[in-house]
Amino acid sequence: MSTPASLSMLPPVDAAPGIRVYNQKLGMWVFLLSEIMFFTSLIGSYIILRSAHPEAYPTPGSVLNIPLTAFNTFVLICSSVTMVKAFAAAEVRDARGIRVWLLATIGLGAFFLGVQAFEYWKLLGHGFGPSVAGYTAAGGPLYGSTFYTMTGFHGAHVFLGVVALCFTLFRATRGAYDHGDYGGIEVMGLYWHFVDLVWIILFTIVYLM
Amino acid sequence: MAIDPNVGANLHSPDMPADATHELGAAHPKPRYMFIFGVLAVLTMAEVGVAYLGLPQRILVITLVFMAMWKAGLVAMYYMHLRFEPRNLIFLVIAPLPLAFVLVLAVLTEF
Amino acid sequence: MTTAVVTGPGGAVQHPVHHDEPSFVRKYIFSTDHKVIGIQFLFMSLLFLVIGGALAMLMRYQLAWPGEPLPMGLGETRAPGGIILPEFYNSLVTMHGTIMVFFAIMPLLVGVFANYLIPLQIGAPDMAFPRINMLSFWLAVPAGILIVASFFVIGGAAGAGWTAYAPLSAVSEYSGVQAGQNLWNISLIILGFSSILGALNYITTVINMRAPGMTWFRMPLPVWALFITAILILLAVPVLTGALIMLLFDNVLGTTFFLPASGGEPLLWQHLFWFFGHPEVYILILPAMGFVSEIIANGSRKPVFGYPAMVIAIASIAILGWLVWGHHMFQSGMNPMLGSIFMGTTMVIAVPSAIKVFNWLATMWKGDLHFHVPMLHAISFVALFVVGGLSGVFLASTPVDIYLHDTYFVVAHLHYVLFGGSLFGIFAAITYWYPKMFGRMMNETVNRIHWLLTFIGFNAVFFPMHMLGSAGMMRRLYDYTEYPHLEPLQETNIFMTWAAFALFAAQLLFAVNFIWCLFRGRRADPNPWNANSLEWTTPSPPPHGNFPATPVVHRGPYEYSSPDVADRDWYPQDELPRVVGAPAHAAETEVRR
Repeated sequence: MSTPASLSMLPPVDAAPGIRVYNQKLGMWVFLLSEIMFFTSLIGSYIILRSAHPEAYPTPGSVLNIPLTAFNTFVLICSSVTMVKAFAAAEVRDARGIRVWLLATIGLGAFFLGVQAFEYWKLLGHGFGPSVAGYTAAGGPLYGSTFYTMTGFHGAHVFLGVVALCFTLFRATRGAYDHGDYGGIEVMGLYWHFVDLVWIILFTIVYLM
Repeated sequence: MAIDPNVGANLHSPDMPADATHELGAAHPKPRYMFIFGVLAVLTMAEVGVAYLGLPQRILVITLVFMAMWKAGLVAMYYMHLRFEPRNLIFLVIAPLPLAFVLVLAVLTEF
Repeated sequence: MTTAVVTGPGGAVQHPVHHDEPSFVRKYIFSTDHKVIGIQFLFMSLLFLVIGGALAMLMRYQLAWPGEPLPMGLGETRAPGGIILPEFYNSLVTMHGTIMVFFAIMPLLVGVFANYLIPLQIGAPDMAFPRINMLSFWLAVPAGILIVASFFVIGGAAGAGWTAYAPLSAVSEYSGVQAGQNLWNISLIILGFSSILGALNYITTVINMRAPGMTWFRMPLPVWALFITAILILLAVPVLTGALIMLLFDNVLGTTFFLPASGGEPLLWQHLFWFFGHPEVYILILPAMGFVSEIIANGSRKPVFGYPAMVIAIASIAILGWLVWGHHMFQSGMNPMLGSIFMGTTMVIAVPSAIKVFNWLATMWKGDLHFHVPMLHAISFVALFVVGGLSGVFLASTPVDIYLHDTYFVVAHLHYVLFGGSLFGIFAAITYWYPKMFGRMMNETVNRIHWLLTFIGFNAVFFPMHMLGSAGMMRRLYDYTEYPHLEPLQETNIFMTWAAFALFAAQLLFAVNFIWCLFRGRRADPNPWNANSLEWTTPSPPPHGNFPATPVVHRGPYEYSSPDVADRDWYPQDELPRVVGAPAHAAETEVRR
């Protein structure tokens, strides 16, 4: 962009300040900072309650289905790589690539949610629920409360991500993002990778420790 | 343009002229996404494997935390391409982490 | 758009031209204009200020004449025969605190002035995300409706205090409140989301949307204060949201986070609440400090004394504010080692606070003082903040706190900071920026009377609370006359109640003046206070898009009585430098990259 004539009439001043990141991306990062603190309160509560009441928390494998969730973790990691591939396609203005990789991401995200719903259904059937009433699994009801709240809110984030991805795909089919305007895909990707990142931590703490 | 309020609201930036794309692209070398994916997958398998080794709890926790941090770091650095961002943004992003640690560690001493 | 920031200021001078006049709904109701949103927040939060004040009047009535019937009925479930029930008194205490903190003071400081001032003072045409900004307001509205509606559900409004300590708040049998607690929870979750959306907007705007030349250390102090406040909101509110969700689940899903009977930890709620709650305290005072700095410089016709020190003090208060939450919990049976640490960090906060106070005094020192109404409120802020700050140091000391905890001394302290501090800062800001917001001046005489009555009334109500607290009168107590040692305090309480009624009536004076002058006030100039910052360079009220052309900033905002300017004592931020020898050759000048 050329400097407008009016500007050259003025004494020297610093250029428009700001960090060299466009607003939408900066805004998404700032939003993710608040998400970090939100998940800190949930994950932190899990860690604190577990250290306060170790008797309520048996080894995860005795209640949870670790192999199934390990597979689900793999699915989410795959969805992250498809998301970043969509971004790479947008950078090189590959319209078909954008749509294919976005569709793959949506599919993997939805599959993750399906597996999680199946897992919940199985666990509820074994008397492992969120509430005190009807809790018959190993450990104490505190385990169920923290487990469902943490994984549930992560699942809600995945769900919102899938909805937003569908909207992104809809816009991509209308010809967006492949004219160098990859900002939308990049910002969507930041959210999606963050959700993946939270799951990496959740999976380690809830299922493996 | 930086000041057009209507465009500012648009999450999906409507257009980005070629020169800017070039500028961004230059500052942003392509990471090998598939290689990172491979590392993440291997680390996940390794994590599950470690969990089944039957290590003492303390060693298990330290190992798993280390591996989880590694994975999270890879995602943030390469998939969220934090590595290629201006330093100010990186500072901004790590700002809440000390707060998170203070909260959890201080309350842990209570129980 | 996305590129302008990346490529520099090249595009930042062109101004968007808006040809089509938006419809009434788009312009005043679902508006994306930051000024309209700020004014919407203003009307909403002033309404809540009145509601919260009315609840306080009911409490004062009960405290002056316990067990005597009110002159009006409030319904058989709340006050049968006009006599306030203990459960309803609990609801009054809770809702007064909740409404004042979350729906009056916080939106008045942040919702109103962050929205209104940030773009105007940094020279931007609007927020970075105007539609997210609109969403932020329209999430606050249903939150407000829910909180008011909770008075009218079976079981009444929440009664576990604004801090909602579990398990009192987690089991409906304990407090007698049923749906009210859940409505309270849901309302605050929605409001928290609204605050977070607002905060991310303010942060992005301040970082990325400043006008050319508006460097970090040329920003007016209100922008600094609001920026740092936005960071506090962004990082503190999500922790409360997480805790509220757990509390809601304990109530409705049967989980057991905070219920000791089935393995939970009530103390966890207190930690999470105060981890949010103490930064919240600074959210409620830092913006007022920013407004007061601006107004005292203007009223003294002098630069702010120690501008960088002011910024550093705000930042260090904000950082230390994360490390002190435990001082609310000294009596909770927490780890004494942890208590000592919290005592130390809390005392340290007195240092940056005192730096600010001394800087305000030094700003006024030998100034050409103009006692306009905003200045009167600003000086009152400084005086009352000193009292509130000092009583805070008392309470920060663990041994003293053993005696004073949960007494009226705490109530006196928090009202000296929140009313004497924040609310006087808000009055200063409203009277100062009213001409800019509405294009009309408020009536000066009425405002002076309002200030005088408020200052006297405030001290008459709240200063005696220090004595009541030292005498052992507990806060949140329905009928202290049941305790023989507190019975002699009734006369003091009656005096305070009459003073409170007068204080409330004085606010109606302000309300009438506010509304009357919207329509009948004298027309305001663009710059009625002869101030420097950018918002005074546009018409009052500013048009959509704020500035006819993007301003270019040449100096800091407090160049009052500058020796470079002979004919007047202010020097606007965007005026071309007047110093001889300054590079004024048009052909040679350009924007530095």
